[in-house]
Amino acid sequence: MKLLRCPLNGPRNISEFVCWGEVADQPDPATADDLAWTDYLYFSNNTAGVVFEWWCHTPTSYWFIAERHTVSDDVIRTYTMDEFRAIRRDGR
Amino acid sequence: MSGVNRIPGGLLVDAARPVRFTFEGRAYDGLAGDTIASALAANDVRVLSRSFKYHRPRGIHSMAAWDANALVQLPGEPNVPAERTPIVPGLAVRGQNYRGSLAHDRDAWLGRFARFMPVGFYYRAFFKPHGAWQRFWEPRVRALAGLGAVALDAPHGHFDKVHNFCDVAVIGGGRAGLSAALAAAGAGDQVLLVDHNPVLGGALNYGRAAVERAATHAERDRLVGAVGGVRRITVMTGAVANGYFADHWLAIIQGSRLHRVRAGRVVLATGAIEQPAVFRGNDIPGVMLGSAAQRLIRLYGVRPGRTAVVVAGTDDGYGVALDLLDAGATVSAIVELRPEPSRDPRAVAAAGRNIRIVNDASIIAAEAVDGHLAAIAIRRQGDNTRHGEAIVCDLAAVSVGRLPAYQLALQAGGRLDYDDARAHFSIAGLPPGVTLAGWTAGEDIGANHPWPIYPHPDGKAFVDFDEDLQIDDIENAVAEGYREIELVKRFSTVGMGPSQGRHSALTAARLVAKETGRRVGDVGVTTARPPVVGEKLGVLAGRGFDPERKTAMHHRHLEAGAQMMTAGAWWRPAYYGVLAHRADAIAREVRAVRTAVGMIDVSTLGGLEIRGPDAAEFMNRMYTFTYTKQAVNRLRYVLMVNESGAIIDDGVACRFGDDHFYVTTTTTGSDRVYQTMLWWNAKWRLDVDIANATAAFAGVNIAGPRARDVLAPLVEGCGVDAGAFPYLGAFEARIAGIPARFLRVGFVGELGFEVHVPASQGEALWDALMDTGRGAGLVPFGVEAQRVLRLEKGHIIVGQDTDAMTTPEEADMLWAIAAKKPFFIGKRALVIRDKHLSRRKLVGFAVAGAPPLQESNLVLKGGNAVGFVTSVAWSPTLNRTIGLAYAAREDAAPDRSLVIRLDDGRDVRATVVKLPFYDPDAARQAL
Amino acid sequence: MPFGLLKYGLRRRYPARPDLPPEPDLRPAYDVVIVGGGGHGLAIAYYLAREHGITNVAVLEKNYIGGGNTGRNTTVIRSNYVTPESVRFYKAAVELYRDLSEELDVNLMYAERGQLTLAHNDASIRSFRLRAEVGKLLGTRIELIDPPAIRALVPALHMPEGGRYPILAGLWHQDGGLARHDAVAWGFAARAAERGVHIFQRTEVTGIDVESGRAVGVATNRGRIAAGAVVQAVAGYSSLLAKMAGFRLPIRTYPLQAMVTEPVKPFLEPLVSSAQLHAYVSQTARGELVIGGGSDPYELYSTRSTLDLKESLIQHTLELFPFLANVKLLRQWAGVTDMTPDYSPIMGESPVAGYWLDAGWGTYGFKATPASGRYMARAIATNRVPDILRPFALDRFRSLALVNEMGATAASH
Repeated sequence: MKLLRCPLNGPRNISEFVCWGEVADQPDPATADDLAWTDYLYFSNNTAGVVFEWWCHTPTSYWFIAERHTVSDDVIRTYTMDEFRAIRRDGR
Repeated sequence: MSGVNRIPGGLLVDAARPVRFTFEGRAYDGLAGDTIASALAANDVRVLSRSFKYHRPRGIHSMAAWDANALVQLPGEPNVPAERTPIVPGLAVRGQNYRGSLAHDRDAWLGRFARFMPVGFYYRAFFKPHGAWQRFWEPRVRALAGLGAVALDAPHGHFDKVHNFCDVAVIGGGRAGLSAALAAAGAGDQVLLVDHNPVLGGALNYGRAAVERAATHAERDRLVGAVGGVRRITVMTGAVANGYFADHWLAIIQGSRLHRVRAGRVVLATGAIEQPAVFRGNDIPGVMLGSAAQRLIRLYGVRPGRTAVVVAGTDDGYGVALDLLDAGATVSAIVELRPEPSRDPRAVAAAGRNIRIVNDASIIAAEAVDGHLAAIAIRRQGDNTRHGEAIVCDLAAVSVGRLPAYQLALQAGGRLDYDDARAHFSIAGLPPGVTLAGWTAGEDIGANHPWPIYPHPDGKAFVDFDEDLQIDDIENAVAEGYREIELVKRFSTVGMGPSQGRHSALTAARLVAKETGRRVGDVGVTTARPPVVGEKLGVLAGRGFDPERKTAMHHRHLEAGAQMMTAGAWWRPAYYGVLAHRADAIAREVRAVRTAVGMIDVSTLGGLEIRGPDAAEFMNRMYTFTYTKQAVNRLRYVLMVNESGAIIDDGVACRFGDDHFYVTTTTTGSDRVYQTMLWWNAKWRLDVDIANATAAFAGVNIAGPRARDVLAPLVEGCGVDAGAFPYLGAFEARIAGIPARFLRVGFVGELGFEVHVPASQGEALWDALMDTGRGAGLVPFGVEAQRVLRLEKGHIIVGQDTDAMTTPEEADMLWAIAAKKPFFIGKRALVIRDKHLSRRKLVGFAVAGAPPLQESNLVLKGGNAVGFVTSVAWSPTLNRTIGLAYAAREDAAPDRSLVIRLDDGRDVRATVVKLPFYDPDAARQAL
Repeated sequence: MPFGLLKYGLRRRYPARPDLPPEPDLRPAYDVVIVGGGGHGLAIAYYLAREHGITNVAVLEKNYIGGGNTGRNTTVIRSNYVTPESVRFYKAAVELYRDLSEELDVNLMYAERGQLTLAHNDASIRSFRLRAEVGKLLGTRIELIDPPAIRALVPALHMPEGGRYPILAGLWHQDGGLARHDAVAWGFAARAAERGVHIFQRTEVTGIDVESGRAVGVATNRGRIAAGAVVQAVAGYSSLLAKMAGFRLPIRTYPLQAMVTEPVKPFLEPLVSSAQLHAYVSQTARGELVIGGGSDPYELYSTRSTLDLKESLIQHTLELFPFLANVKLLRQWAGVTDMTPDYSPIMGESPVAGYWLDAGWGTYGFKATPASGRYMARAIATNRVPDILRPFALDRFRSLALVNEMGATAASH
């Protein structure tokens, strides 16, 4: 059983979490055309490599971001939403 | 007497405690501590089982349960490893995979036809004429397939699971493992030391690394004694470390218990597995690994044979010969397979004890009489005779080399390379925190014989005992074009049996390397996957844990005779009455609601609290309606669609304050809706707090024209008349002294109040209402009646009348969409769906009479399915069969005719009816 | 003993015509380059050669043939889907499978033992009845059956009347069956190679050459190969290959695990599954029990095994067959599956001209092998997508006209 470090609860068995996939920026619904919107809805990067993903610790319903390698399954880091916003602002 | 072959000195057996058991219906005496195999060996019983394909007699081979040769049948338990399973008084053991008797198997003819069953023969035949495989051959193949038999009435038994944690897990309690455990404990770590044998010591207990055993035993006693004196070391014996999983998560099985162990780091000191030589008859009972003979002697006090030949491809063979002499056996010869005489001290000692050593020899074949070894034919250098020299023996102990037990290391991510000089595999590439020790690490393991493979023109030189695969089979698989080891495995089935290649992988790799002109290291072995050894399904299952949820009123439903049904994890009353009168019960409940008053437990509906300055904005984004202008103490329908525009949930939102909404969800949707809300707000960061209060509330819906009669006497602080408490009102007040939320809803189409109270008060609420309601004719109703009632009103049930694609437009629910809102989840997708309208629409329909219509019957048009019935019921109120169905879009108008196909193939005509069926002016719910 | 085996008894070594011929020399150009030497890629190659006379075809396999999901699935063949589009397509596959052993001259051990899916609640009964009705309408053998009929079909099944998992009804699909997965790939490979198709193992595609919006070749670890058309049939890696061609797919990739027990004497004839318990069980001709369940919970390009999935899957299996508690599990493994949002495959054209998609096969690719092979070959040969494949076009994700099979797919692969 893999361990995942929840920013709120520390390292826990990964069976306590759910993953909602790679973080994807939602285009502006007012301006995005149908192609851009269906891209956002369905056409995933499905990256084989390091991705930022949504994870939720289900017993505490806590959402956070994990930086994970989708081939090795290594979790590089986890981020609270504040931390994630900060690194996003830094242009990562 | 515990057997003619019993000798003193068995480490694990207690000579003072005989144990009587049966094998093949005959009684035998063994000793406490014996395994089935050792006890039978002590009694000179050599044949334990029959092989998978050719039904050849098989017996002890490794005494470590590494192969399928000694799998036996216990009552209710197939494929039991006789070499590891202890005897207990009265144990009834049988051989496996024979017809008739173990000694005279009527299927043994299969072995004589082996030449007509080459590798992959089943791909070449049995399929003509058309269908012959399924009709004729497969049943015959299946009849011969399998090993042991399951008993269909076998009890589940008791299994359970525990969690353990340690700083260091050391797997293997031999010299290396004991040393590693002591070192780790010395450094302050909590250590878990795991060994699959009954006692610690590993090969120190039975091997003979030197002429004299005294030094070996002294080392064992020192190490085992030291480990026993360290409190930081926890010892688990008789425990198999069967799987390595991510982040040092180990599956360790001890008896009927699965230990899930989280280790800080892992030391693999799993030792090495002795490998067989490949020659004609190498599977005959009496031919066994040298270590098997030593285990019998030293662990169980059993002389493995009277007259022995030792086949030596490594110096360990000489230790085996010395052990056999000490055990009272005659050693007729040591057949040295290497060109040079051994200079090992054990070889010198063996020569000194007048054992004949035949150097630079090869093996021609082992010969059996009555299913047991009678002689071994060898060829000395320069001997050109066809049959060589036959040496009479009843035991051939084979020592040609070992392989590091790499299974756990490979599961952990390690990879194998072939050490050409020492002719065995070495392990590299382990993840951080996993290390090897001792033989597993290639330390002190010596060189293997590089090619202990002796083909015979008549075959029966087995590479894989489990699958009865011979040298030719591997060579022919390559000749057929299957040059990759994984393809050879798949084509020939080598390594796919119970021993999972422990004894066949090396030989197979060597043969494939030779046939393809590659290095053994380039050929490799097939992927090692968990588990290391077969593990009982019961151990994996444990006691099982399936959480279920009961409402606060659960027992009241049972007392009232409810038939309960599941809804997600919840139990809900389906109807009150007996199965035989199901329809009547449902109709009675429906009529009670329509004519008097009924009460249903709605505690299972989700309840979410949305609080904060942005609560209304949050609601506006999550749901399709508008909530910013919703008045306090009013409730509104909520409809949730997903980002693709499909309906996923509904309920009502009560506004109890400017910054406070209380939202209900469907029974099965609450957790998902809650999670979804939190996810979106993790992105939006609106100033709201979202709490899942589902479990905090119990609730009932009191519905019917006399609902007020039930409630009025009990409600404090709020009127229940239409003026004070209008339709779609929502108030907080008290009922029977209990603080409660009141919601005026109309799901079933009558005057109705939902009352939500703290879950702890649910039963009290139920009792109080039942009490006061008796005079008004209050009856409890269940989910089935509610389904009929809401169908009469034309209300959908999300998940029943909608599927994963249903849009509000298809469901005719555009009234629930606030199209002018700038955003709600799914809005943008609905714009796209509107451009590509589907061909279906959800409609109400009615049929004449009472045909056996079922939900999911198809709506046909021009012979094609254009939709299906989602809900159908006999309406006791309307006295007709009504339903909802997807129909072709052009037929979605009142009075259009639909064709519905019944289960039995007949078609019935239905008429589209404008919804709702009942009370179209919605006057009753607004009373 | 069948006459066909006599010839083997007379020789020590095999006759000279091996299933897989020695590897030919790689040509600089092919009419069609098929990326992926699994069942699908090999089947496309076979039907191109057999039905369209297109034999200047290369199949490139980065590992060994049939080594991906072809050799990792649980060999279930069935057509009991819910949408008419799917039922039509998978029914075509079942019909091809029926004659495939003779066509390929290999015993695929195809046996229609029937598949029984169990309903434990009324929602399942509704969804099963829909599948039964759609199947009947389209001519497949399928019906909803009651508990006594279930008991008659699978006497060994534990049939609780109450509790969390009562058995209320079953979806009985008589066309459901099993075949030997490896043999399907080998048979297509052998018969394609016989007709001149070139099959290269250990040959990895590292790039797709696209010129002016048209695929013109591939880059490999053995150099560049020009191609008149390129097909991708790389289950588990579809997104990565498409990315090389310059576009994204509506696919997320998850591991799917399965496991097998030691062989025991036969007691189970049909395939038995329960969507609610996320478990399905069948017994092979060798006597092993093959057990599978749902996909792993998060995306991963890895075939690692997990203990937790094994534990929950086996717990649920024992709900159905409690007497198996003392039977031993021998091996667990995993495949990497490309899941689409609607649990249906993507076949046909791509945004790049001359670049064909055979992708998104999730957990249901094996059963489709001959049909996807045959109709994909027809699409490539005629440059026109056959009607039977049209519902599965990539474009459906632009118009949100999905072919939703989620309910008919969960845990009954």
